[in-house]
Amino acid sequence: MPVIRLNEVSFRYRGANEPALSEITCHIRAGELVGLLGRSGSGRSTLASTLNGTIPHLVRGDLRGQVHIGGQDIRAQRPRDLADRVGFVFQDFEAQLFSTNVALEVAFGPENLGVPREEISRRVDRYLRLVRLEALRRKASAGLSGGQKQRLALASVMALEPQVLVLDEPTSDLDPAGRADLWDAVRDLRRERALTLVIIDPETDEMGWVDRFIVLDRGRIALSGTPSELRRATGTLEGLGVKGFTLARLASAIGLQEEWQDADQAATAIRTAGWRVKEDAAETMRRADAERANGEVLLEVEDLTHRYPDGTEALSGVSCAIRRGEFVAILGQNGSGKTTLVKHLNGILRPTAGDIRLSGQSLRGQPLTRLSRLVGLVFQNPDHQIFAERIRDEVAFGPRLQGLAEGEVARRVDEALEAVDLAGAGDLDPFVLTKGSRQRVAVASTLATKPEVIILDEPTTGLDHRELEGMMALIQRLNQAGHTILIITHAMAVAAAYARRGILMRNGRIVRDGTAREIFSDESSLLELGLTPPPAVQVANRLGVPALTLDELVASLTRAPLAPCPPAPRSHS
Amino acid sequence: MNLFLFLDRDSPVHSLDPRTKIFLLLGSFVAAVLFFQPGPLFALLLVLLVYGAMGRALQNLRRIWLLLLSIAIVSIMSWSVFARGATPVFWRVTWEGFLYGLGAAIKIDSMIIAGLIFLSTTKTEEIVLGLIRLRVPYQAAFAFSLAIRMVPTIIGTAVTVTEAQRSRGLDLESGGPLARLRKHIPLLVPIFLDTLRNTDQLAKALESRGFGARRERTSYLEIGFHAADGLALALGALILAIFVAIRFTG
Repeated sequence: MPVIRLNEVSFRYRGANEPALSEITCHIRAGELVGLLGRSGSGRSTLASTLNGTIPHLVRGDLRGQVHIGGQDIRAQRPRDLADRVGFVFQDFEAQLFSTNVALEVAFGPENLGVPREEISRRVDRYLRLVRLEALRRKASAGLSGGQKQRLALASVMALEPQVLVLDEPTSDLDPAGRADLWDAVRDLRRERALTLVIIDPETDEMGWVDRFIVLDRGRIALSGTPSELRRATGTLEGLGVKGFTLARLASAIGLQEEWQDADQAATAIRTAGWRVKEDAAETMRRADAERANGEVLLEVEDLTHRYPDGTEALSGVSCAIRRGEFVAILGQNGSGKTTLVKHLNGILRPTAGDIRLSGQSLRGQPLTRLSRLVGLVFQNPDHQIFAERIRDEVAFGPRLQGLAEGEVARRVDEALEAVDLAGAGDLDPFVLTKGSRQRVAVASTLATKPEVIILDEPTTGLDHRELEGMMALIQRLNQAGHTILIITHAMAVAAAYARRGILMRNGRIVRDGTAREIFSDESSLLELGLTPPPAVQVANRLGVPALTLDELVASLTRAPLAPCPPAPRSHS
Repeated sequence: MNLFLFLDRDSPVHSLDPRTKIFLLLGSFVAAVLFFQPGPLFALLLVLLVYGAMGRALQNLRRIWLLLLSIAIVSIMSWSVFARGATPVFWRVTWEGFLYGLGAAIKIDSMIIAGLIFLSTTKTEEIVLGLIRLRVPYQAAFAFSLAIRMVPTIIGTAVTVTEAQRSRGLDLESGGPLARLRKHIPLLVPIFLDTLRNTDQLAKALESRGFGARRERTSYLEIGFHAADGLALALGALILAIFVAIRFTG
């Protein structure tokens, strides 16, 4: 008997014209692990919200059809009544933590359900051990890293011992190490007790361990199948706006009918099939890189140290120079000082010690406005800055503050909206837009002030595959149009594909600074910092070619002319 | 940046029952409102500082000293100017007015310090539990703890929003009062909307953790009166009695 049964489920949010879900029918067996995919707005989160009764009890709208959990209709039960059967972990880990310290957080759920004290104590110990937080039990959750917070949220939900666990984009705000640790914890939990899992996560490549995928499109189930089946349908998947499996794309690009689980397997299979790296491949790439020489030094950071009022030293003696026309990715775990560094470049923070030079001139004792004219900073969350009722006014905010004439302001707004593909949308309310488009409004707002350097803090967080590619194409266009670009990102595939230089940070220091090729071909240094190169780069490294994207990798391969072409061996798995 | 006041330490004050600390807090408020003269209020402040030192909570004073100092300055200056008295010092300022201002300053600062010591030595869960045992309904007690929980979130949002708008060129420091007020709209709208979204998230997360599912909830923390609580309450009552005696006899 399936533990989750949806029969012809449709849902329309109050005030919406289109239904978010249309006649969804699906059954999920007890113990099954299901990955839910789909572009943003496809109905993934809406579907997940029905599983613990958040829809219809906490979200207004029109629900039709039946949702049965463990044989009971969710209409009859609020989320709190289902809490000991369906656990829910949200993307926003801050909003899920309420308690003074780690142990009390885990105890909060069982307390609400009236679990006896001895049993609560046993569960606190058990689930903190399973998510590897037992050493931090007395620590305040405010002092934890993002990854630790999300693992704490997981433990506190598991302490209710539900049969079903729903994870709604739990890793979107985490760094690569935090993501890996969270998935490890989920796998450990699943080994310990029978658990049905429904996971939403846009990183298809990291979801290969599920039993079954369900892909939604416009509120309907568009595709479903095992990871193997979906690997074969990678083209269809991308047509639905979902990121495909990199290794499956690689295999089909070189005409191999194989299924690879990881980069090692892929590299071996590619060699076995008679492919090798062209002799001049590395040389060709380096020559192409060198053609794009950068301009003169714009910004110089010298021995920069920053101490926050509470005494923590966020930056310790950082030095680097940014040249005109560069495209730099600043990489490192959460808390390594990336955001603190870029806030100095834009003049929001003043150095505790050290200096910043602008075209060779020291800014010591100078007003920082000169810096903010030159360097625009797009913050991570567009909702932290959007306030106007019309997109046009939002974008005009910066230029108006610079005291420009209205004619000039209007011209710049049009230009900026044009650049981010929002021409003609100027009179809309920014809040009717999707997250991806609001991000574009934020970029346009910065563009309209005409900064030479544009810094973007995590520009792709929360965007689906297509929105991500659109955003990065936009940033690349800006770079080609002459803007110097710095991005902070946890998305290694983005950094590898678009940036030409990488700066690696750890504990407030720059530990490596080099071309993207140097940075990504040195896999062990990246791993040491908790950063995993994207799959295509991993395969390239194993084949010994400094390719940064799938296309570059494929272009650098050739069939060995002497070896006879063996038939592609069938996969054993 | 940690914006919570609670300091997780092992001190005699930390291990007191939260109800004891609630009574001591109320007692110190009563003592403070009894007096207008700086002398006894200063004695009360000393008692509170000893209590705070025992609770190893005084380091939090560093976080609010600016507030305490500004209250003291504003109070002393305004009372000195506006309160009447018999002994002129200079201009309109009288000795009595000055003393009254000084007393008011110590009074308000003492009450803030007493609250600070309470929050520095008591977990919000203990406060909730203590309030429940004092027959406050759970929902009301929890609302109080949620309010404490939301303060750092809202401050955090405010800091980020301010930085984001400043980086777009917003200058909050120049202009007349009305102009400055208008400049805050780009701050207030995102802060308000983000707080709304946060509250919505919080409600969903609370529900999914079973909040409100049962009438009777259990507690992982244990509280109870011990010998130390008896001693603390007796000492507190004695000190309060002395203050009352001074007030109504002296």
